[in-house]
Amino acid sequence: MSMVDEPSIWSPELDFGTPPMHDVDTVTPSVTVTVDGHQVDVPAGTSVLRAATEAGVTIPKLCATDSLNAFGSCRMCLVEVDGVRGVPASCTTPCADGMVVSTQTDTVRELRRNVMELYLSDHPEDCDGCARGNCEIQSLAATVGSAEVRYGRPETRLDVAHPQPLDQSNPYFAFDASSCIVCSRCVRACGDIQGTFALTVEGRGFDSRISAGGTDFLSSECVSCGACVQACPTSALQENSIVSLGMPTRSVETTCAYCGVGCSFRAEVQGDGDDARVVRMTPSKSGGANEGHSCVKGRFAYGYASHRDRQMSPMVRDSIDDEWRKVSWEEAIARAASGFKAIQAEYGVGSIGGISSSRCTNEEVYVVQKMVRAAFDNNNVDTCARVCHSPTGYGLSQTFGTSAGTQDFASVDQADVILLIGANPTDAHPVFASRMKKRLREGAQLIVADPRRIDLVRSPHVEATHHLPLQPGSNVAYINAMAHTVVTEGLHDEAFLRERCEGVDEYLEFVRDPGNSPEATASATGVDPDELRAAARLYAQARNGAIYYGLGVTEHSQGSTMVMGLANLAMLTGNIGRPGVGINPLRGQNNVQGSCDMGSFPHEFPGYRHVGRDDVRGIYERLWGKTLDPEPGLRIPNMFDSAIAGSFRGLYVQGEDIAQSDPNTQHVEAALRAMDLVVVQDLFLNETARFAHVFLPGTSFLEKDGTFINAERRFGRVRPVFSSRVGKDEWQVVCELATAMGFAMSYESPAQILDEIAATTPTFAGVSFARLDAEGSMQWPINDNAPNGTPTMHVGEFVRGKGHLIPTWFVPTTERTNRKFPLLLTTGRILTQYNVGAQTRRTDNNTWHPEDVLEIHPADAELRGISSGDLVDLASRVGSTTLRALVSERMPPGVVYTTFHHPITGANVVTTENSDWATNCPEYKVTAVQVGVANARGTDAVTEVREPAETHA
Amino acid sequence: MNVPPEARMGNDIARQLGHLPTAQAAEAIADHIERFWEPRMRRNLEALVAAQDDALDPLVVDAAGLLAARAS
Repeated sequence: MSMVDEPSIWSPELDFGTPPMHDVDTVTPSVTVTVDGHQVDVPAGTSVLRAATEAGVTIPKLCATDSLNAFGSCRMCLVEVDGVRGVPASCTTPCADGMVVSTQTDTVRELRRNVMELYLSDHPEDCDGCARGNCEIQSLAATVGSAEVRYGRPETRLDVAHPQPLDQSNPYFAFDASSCIVCSRCVRACGDIQGTFALTVEGRGFDSRISAGGTDFLSSECVSCGACVQACPTSALQENSIVSLGMPTRSVETTCAYCGVGCSFRAEVQGDGDDARVVRMTPSKSGGANEGHSCVKGRFAYGYASHRDRQMSPMVRDSIDDEWRKVSWEEAIARAASGFKAIQAEYGVGSIGGISSSRCTNEEVYVVQKMVRAAFDNNNVDTCARVCHSPTGYGLSQTFGTSAGTQDFASVDQADVILLIGANPTDAHPVFASRMKKRLREGAQLIVADPRRIDLVRSPHVEATHHLPLQPGSNVAYINAMAHTVVTEGLHDEAFLRERCEGVDEYLEFVRDPGNSPEATASATGVDPDELRAAARLYAQARNGAIYYGLGVTEHSQGSTMVMGLANLAMLTGNIGRPGVGINPLRGQNNVQGSCDMGSFPHEFPGYRHVGRDDVRGIYERLWGKTLDPEPGLRIPNMFDSAIAGSFRGLYVQGEDIAQSDPNTQHVEAALRAMDLVVVQDLFLNETARFAHVFLPGTSFLEKDGTFINAERRFGRVRPVFSSRVGKDEWQVVCELATAMGFAMSYESPAQILDEIAATTPTFAGVSFARLDAEGSMQWPINDNAPNGTPTMHVGEFVRGKGHLIPTWFVPTTERTNRKFPLLLTTGRILTQYNVGAQTRRTDNNTWHPEDVLEIHPADAELRGISSGDLVDLASRVGSTTLRALVSERMPPGVVYTTFHHPITGANVVTTENSDWATNCPEYKVTAVQVGVANARGTDAVTEVREPAETHA
Repeated sequence: MNVPPEARMGNDIARQLGHLPTAQAAEAIADHIERFWEPRMRRNLEALVAAQDDALDPLVVDAAGLLAARAS
């Protein structure tokens, strides 16, 4: 018997060999087995391999890993079981009560040695992974005692039986077939974990080999999530960073800085202190949000943190036409503070404000809103959620009583029907999409409501039961038609409504109106009424119906109304308050939930409490020793309008690029130009910095110490891999700026900031660095009522008491097509780029998406003489830009689509000032445009229009 | 036509709440503005009403009247 080895560096998390038993519908009975004399209790159905590992007994294995179902091919994990003939593979043998297992008999040891000899007979002696310690073959050979290979070993990778060229097409990893043992872990990871099915085994027997569908990895369907690389037990699939830098020497558990899924990662690092560098990022199995999976951004696109464009010094300049001048921190902060104070002295306290970042930690965001409220003496603080999910905050607050999604991500494992609307998770939330696809492969049904044929409409082993291609701008008409069908066909949950909700009769009367029927709304939605009715029936009759949505819901003139409509539909059908159901906003940026939670909105303190509430204001006034403004402050678009009007003249911007991300770029730039002082704190000289007077260098997530909150309300720790590369942490800089403004602000550590947040916000009362470090991530509310957090909200009772059904009248947007602008533009994201691209554009992710393109339906393209690859002018009533076209049947006729990742195309040059009525969230998803060929102007046509800040590849 | 921001935003709110009886709609618009608009925006709206800006939805004018009455 051998005890479990110390965790190796490439797998510090113990690998149990097969997944744990998860059966959500039944309570699995426990069985007792004895492995090499050790008794262990495990759920029935658990593999012998896993039970042995739990008992502290290591069984050699190659094709088994606990992220994948057992495969039973490598013949290394053989065991003997008392009373059973033969030598079964422990990975595929379920435990039975009373089973007695021996893992180290002479028989199995001899068999393992022989099997390993066969593996070694075609494994090159010069395997670089073996030499480096990144290939399990050599170490396992030592473990099982295969000292000799009677059949000989290939000396080099060229001497193996079937030499293949090294596939280095992917910028992040390489495939070396000579080290491959065809265990299929990569194939299974691609299918079972990622759900892409890009890999296969070609050939049979000794000729079998791994193939990316008959082509190289880059040309294949591979989405570069890295699950195959992580699963590979040899160095056949290996990160390029491991080849160039070598193996890591330590690891730091932290949270991804990209999308709102908030994956937990182990940053694997070499060196300490200033010499530390990341060798690779490995997703953590213990991560509540991602459970060991990742995407191409989180796993590979971290190089921006050390990119040469990164600014390391504070800088100032008198005019935005001047060159930047590097200065000390003291001078830069003094310059910002004196400038802000001078503006206030001349134009009043309300003449300045700040914008906090959803890419910064809760602690960094909290101090920004505190600085604005206490040092700026106003409430002019806002955050980028203004331009994405602010309608979620409003809509869910009105209907449920709090501004957040209702479930954890694991909830989708119990959903039977998923209504996905205005979201494209395979691109924007890929790790959650993999989880959703897994559930769909298990038999859950999917309704996709989206103008585009997104990947989830039809992809390998996934096909939506209904795709409802809504006309942009018709969401509320659509959701009313869904509710109308449910109610008029008697599919609503009357008992739930009467017990749990209010406003029921008024809402039912509203939604029964024939004007809300699928037939009456079809002219607006463009959706076949029969198809819509069938989708409504499917959702309403599901045992568990879950709604997932994204910015295709919120970024409309009726964004808030639509969020309320979704909440209404969930309440109508009783799909709230238990696992498998709920309203799930897929948040865009990593800490957009947290930035909202931390009081970044101009009308709310942390925990969504209005600034007009005397009791709440009193908490902060007593703690901070300041009288605080009881009136709401300016939202971001209000700041721009007021700047142009002349009453708003100074702005602090933390880690956001409003000149690229916000709509109607000309308007934003005019506002920025109109200000006397713009202070930008960022990693890079971004588009907004073109209009800045003071630049304060920021820190990457690898330097931050704090917490993020993801889309499922989960507090996750962000831990520094190395200390700030710019000499100060961002929270310190903000504190020093506030202090220089006259309001003394200081903390000993970010942990102390979170303590202040917990002490002043009942929703977060039970959270602290110490608890998160000791117990792992947890979901708010975390307080006396929910000491360990709240995976599912509104169980038994809504936060506001009764759920509030609110009639949602469809009011068409004022943005309409006409003869001059006959097409509708809608915007979104792509897998490999992120938001304004400040991070991903500075990585090899540009390999996949080097520029924004315009997707256009073949009929619209033919009418205009457009072919794929053509340069086209895209014009709206507010501006125009030039980009390349991609003719695609993913688009419906009359609708075009692009992304906003690249400043050179600047998609927001054409988006308008229209916004959600309740929150001013921009109507990015509906812009009337015209498209025309621009080829004649040549490739310079793009740069003729825009002159973005310099970005190096 | 270049509509002042407060008129555009006020009208957007009025269009959403226009299904309510007039008095109730004006009250709801006033409540929303009071809860979410910074004071200078309210002052700008008052100025537009005082100038009888014809871009304003009548419901917004009523709401502005209610806001003024509440403030006095």
